[in-house]
Amino acid sequence: MKLILITLALTVSSANAELRGRTAKEILDYVDDLFRGDSSKGRMTMKISTKHWTRTLSMNFWGEGKEKSLIRILSPKKEKGTATLRAGNDIWNYLPKVRRVIKLPSSMMSASWMGSHFTNDDLVKETRMADDFDTKVSFQGEREGVEIVELTCIPKEEAVVVWGKVVIAVHKDDLTPIVSHYYDEDLDLARTMTFSELRVFGGRKLPARVSIIPSDKPAEATVITYEEIEFDLKLPDDLFTLRNLQR
Amino acid sequence: MMLLKYAWRNMWRNRRRTMITLAAVALNTAVLILFYALSIGMIEKTLRNVTGLVGGEAQAHARDYLEDQSLYKSLEKPEKIIAAANRIGVSAVPRTFGFGLAAKETKSAGAVFWGVRPEEERAFSWVNHLLKGTFLKEKPGKEVVLGKKLARQLRAEVGSEIIIVVQAADGSMGNEIYVVQGILKAIGASIDRGAVIMHEQDFRELFVLEDRIHEIAFHSKGRIDPEDLITELSSDLGQAEVKSWKELMPVLADMLRLSDILLLIFGGIFFVAAGLGVMNTMLMATYERMHEFGIQKAIGASPLRIVTDVLAEAFTLSAAGTALGALLGYGVSYYLQFHGIDLSRFSEDLTIAGIAFDPVWYTAIVPKVIVMPMLIMCWVCVLASLYPAMVAALVKPVEAIHHH
Repeated sequence: MKLILITLALTVSSANAELRGRTAKEILDYVDDLFRGDSSKGRMTMKISTKHWTRTLSMNFWGEGKEKSLIRILSPKKEKGTATLRAGNDIWNYLPKVRRVIKLPSSMMSASWMGSHFTNDDLVKETRMADDFDTKVSFQGEREGVEIVELTCIPKEEAVVVWGKVVIAVHKDDLTPIVSHYYDEDLDLARTMTFSELRVFGGRKLPARVSIIPSDKPAEATVITYEEIEFDLKLPDDLFTLRNLQR
Repeated sequence: MMLLKYAWRNMWRNRRRTMITLAAVALNTAVLILFYALSIGMIEKTLRNVTGLVGGEAQAHARDYLEDQSLYKSLEKPEKIIAAANRIGVSAVPRTFGFGLAAKETKSAGAVFWGVRPEEERAFSWVNHLLKGTFLKEKPGKEVVLGKKLARQLRAEVGSEIIIVVQAADGSMGNEIYVVQGILKAIGASIDRGAVIMHEQDFRELFVLEDRIHEIAFHSKGRIDPEDLITELSSDLGQAEVKSWKELMPVLADMLRLSDILLLIFGGIFFVAAGLGVMNTMLMATYERMHEFGIQKAIGASPLRIVTDVLAEAFTLSAAGTALGALLGYGVSYYLQFHGIDLSRFSEDLTIAGIAFDPVWYTAIVPKVIVMPMLIMCWVCVLASLYPAMVAALVKPVEAIHHH
C-alpha cells in the first residue's frame, strides 16, 4: 500500500504547479504534507504474473492519512471478502472462508502480500519518505525525449528502511512519476516500478497503471491498474476498525 | 612364568609406593573407560535421534530442492523410489512441505507445513514423541500436530483451533481452521520452532497441490549403511538426489568426528600421566636395586635379561592396575547404563547442532570401551619403563656394586 500511496502522493503533488523549481526535499515534504490528513477511496485491479501462475485480483481500497488503509478483495470468487487492514504499524487480515481475523507477525513483514510482488512491509511502512531519506535532485533535463527531474533518496543513518537507495524520476512539467528504482542494501537494483497511462481521477492527473518488476525474476510482474479514485471525501469513522474489517 | 613371578614379588618390595602407582593407573583406566562409554553412549543416542526420530538415514529430494524449498520442486517419480527402497526392506516415507502462517487469536507465526501419511510415519519414533495429545489419525480430519516452541508461541493446547494461511500452488490464498491434535516434544530446532504437521490430504487441499512429494525419508533401522543405501537406490532415482544424514547434517557429522578427536586428546593426556607415574616408580625401583643389578651383571646376566626383568615388573604393575581400573570403570559405566546422568537441570531443551538430545546421558558399553583403554594403558606403561630398564641394563657392574 505504501507504494500505492506513494504513487498517489507523488501524483497528487503534480496538481500544484507552484512546486516547480523547488528542492527535492521540498517536493517530498510537500508530497507527504499533501497526503497527510487526506482521504481516498477507489477501485483497482492487480495482475500478478509469476513463473507458475497468473491471476488478477480486483479490489476496493480506502486510505486516510499515513496510518490507515483498508483493502477489500472483490474477485476472484475464492478470495472475495478477504480484507487487509493497516492501522499504525499493525497489519490484520480478514479471511472470510474461516471468518477470522489474524494479525500478521513481524517476521512475515517481508513476505509477499497476497502473492504479489508487494511485501507486507510495503503496506505498513510510513509513507513519509523525507523522514527516512535524504533527497537530492540527481538529474534534471531530457532523457529519452522527455524532460525529467530525477530524485535520489538515500536512507538516513538511523532510519529503519529496507532499501539502500531509491531513485525516482518524475516529469519535469507536471511532476507525475515515471519510474522508481529500488536498490537493496548492497545498492543492487531490487525492483523497478514503472508509472504509465496518465488519467484524470478526481480532478487530478495520475498514472493509472503501476507495474513492479523484481530484479531477480525479470519475467515476473505485478501490475496495478486504477479503475477509479476519489479524493478528500468523508469516510465513516469506524472504517478502519477491526470490527468493520470482519463485516 | 618364573619371570612374571619374580616381577610380581619385586613389585611388592615397596608396598606403599606400588599401591599408589597401582591406584593411579587404575583410576586413569577407570576414568578413560567411563569417558569412552559416555562418549559412545552420546553418539549412539544422537544417531538414533537423528535417523530414527524423523530424519531417516538418508533422504531423497528433487535436485536443488534443499537450496530453494519451492512448492514446485517435487520428486518426479516418487513411487518408483519408494518401491525400490521397499524391495530391499527399507522404509521409505514420503512428505510434502509448504510455508505460510499459523495463527491463534492474536498470536501468529510463520510456519513450515508438513503433509504426511500418518500410518507410514510410524516407521519413525516421532509419532510417539509427544508432549501432549497424540499423533495424527490415519484419516484426514483437519487436525494438526505442532512443534513444541510454535505451540508455546501460539499459546496453543490440544484441542485449540489454529488458523492457517498459505500461498497455494495456484497463487490463491489457502486458509483453513485446524484443530491441534498433539504437541511434539523437542525434536530439533526447525521442527520445534515452526513445524505444523498435517495429513497429506489436508495439505493438498490447503495448498491446491496435486499428488506432489518433496521428500522421501529412508529408514533401515540401522541395518544398511546410508552410503550403501544410496548405491542401492541409484538406478531408480531419475532426477532425484539422495543424501545421507551426514551430508544433510554436516554440522552433526563434524561434531561426532570432533568428539572422537576430543576422546583421543583426553585419552592421550591420561595415558601420558599414567605412563609418567609408572616411569617414576620404576625409575625409583631401579635405583634401589642398582646394587643387585650390578651383581647380576657381574655374574653374567645380559643387558637384555635385565631389561626383560624390569619390563616384566612394569607389566605386572600396569596389568594389575588396569585390571582394577577396568573393574571400577565397568562398574560405574554399568550403573550409568541404566541410571544416566541427568543434565536437565542445566538446560531444559538440550540440543546439539539443532538436534534434540535426551537430557539423561547414559553410557553404552561395547567391548572396545573396556578393551581399548586397558590395552593401550598397559602398552604405555611398559613403554614408559623402557627408560628405567635401559638405565638398569647399562650399569657398569663395578660402579653398581658400590652403589648404595
